Amino acid sequence: MIGTHVEDMLSAYLEDELDGPRKAAVEVHLAGCQECVALLEAMRDTRDALASLPELEPSPGLLRKLYAIPERKKKFRPVLDFLLRPSLQPVFAGATGLMVFLSFLAFSPAGHSLQKNFIRQVHQGYGRAEKLYAKASAIPDEIGARKESLLGSLRSVDILRTGGEVE
Amino acid sequence: MLVNAYSKKVFNLAYQFSGSRQEAEDMTQEIFLKLYGSLGKYDFGRNFTAWLLTLAKNHLIDEYRRTRWERTQRDELDERTMTQAAFDGPEKSLAREEDRKTVWKALGGLSTEIRATVILRDIQGLTYEEIADNLRLPLGTIKSRVNRGRLQLAAILRPGKGEEA
Repeated sequence: MIGTHVEDMLSAYLEDELDGPRKAAVEVHLAGCQECVALLEAMRDTRDALASLPELEPSPGLLRKLYAIPERKKKFRPVLDFLLRPSLQPVFAGATGLMVFLSFLAFSPAGHSLQKNFIRQVHQGYGRAEKLYAKASAIPDEIGARKESLLGSLRSVDILRTGGEVE
Repeated sequence: MLVNAYSKKVFNLAYQFSGSRQEAEDMTQEIFLKLYGSLGKYDFGRNFTAWLLTLAKNHLIDEYRRTRWERTQRDELDERTMTQAAFDGPEKSLAREEDRKTVWKALGGLSTEIRATVILRDIQGLTYEEIADNLRLPLGTIKSRVNRGRLQLAAILRPGKGEEA
C-alpha cells in the first residue's frame, strides 16, 4: 500500500531536498514497499520525459504576424488617442448615463410605468399648453374691446369738455 | 527586439500548455498583443523575463478557464519533435519516446494551475523559487503542486511500464 505521508515527499526525495531524518524515513519505507519504489521510478521517468520534450520553432507565418503587431498598434494609435482624450470623458459619461436611462426605460418594468407616467404628463402638459394658447389668442380681441371702450370713454370726456367751453 | 528574444519561449509555453500548435499560435499572438499594450505598466525594477512569463501564464490560465476548460484532447507530438528527441541515444529512444507521448497527452488531464506549475518546473526548468516569484504564490504551494502533478502523471505512466515488465 502506498503511504500517503511518503507520497507527499517523493518529489522532494527525487530532487534530494529532504533533510536527514525525513530522507531516512522515506528510505526505510521504500525498503519495504515495492509499490512506492515503482511509483518513485515512474515519477523519475515522468520528470525525465518532461525534461526531454524539445522546444519547437515558431513558424515563419507566426513570426510575421508578431512583427506586424507594433505596426498595427501604431496605425490605430491616433484614433485611440483621440477617443481617449480626457476632454471627451464628460461626453462619454453623459452618453453612458443617457444609454443607461434609455435602457431602463426600454427594458425594466418600473421603466414602463415611468414611461406611461411620462407620456401622461406630456399629454397633460400639451393640453395645458393648448388651453394657454387658446387664452392667449383671445387676448388681442380682449385688448381690442378694452381699447374701444377706453376710446369711447375718452371721446365722451372730450365731448363733455368741448360742450362746457361752448356754454 | 521583443519578438526575436521571446517569441520561442512564449510559443513553447503556449504549446506545452494547450497541446495544439494552432492554439499555441493564436495564444502567442494574444500574449504579444497584451505585452505591447502593457509595456507602459512594466516596473523596471523587476526581471523582464519573469514579468513576461507571469503575463503569459496568467493569459493562458484565464483563457482556459474562460473558454477551453473542458478541453483535454491534445495533438499528437509533433513529428519534428520526435525526430529531435531520437538523438538521446538508440537504446533509450524507443522507451523514452513512448514515455514522452504518454506524458505529453496526460498533461492535458491536469488542472490548469497544476499543469502550469509542472510545465514551468519540469519542462521550462525554472527553480521552485523562480516559479513562486513568477506566480506570486508560497513556495510550499508550488512544491505541493509539482508533487501532485508528477504523481498524477506517474500514475498514468506506471500501468504502461507494468505491462512492459
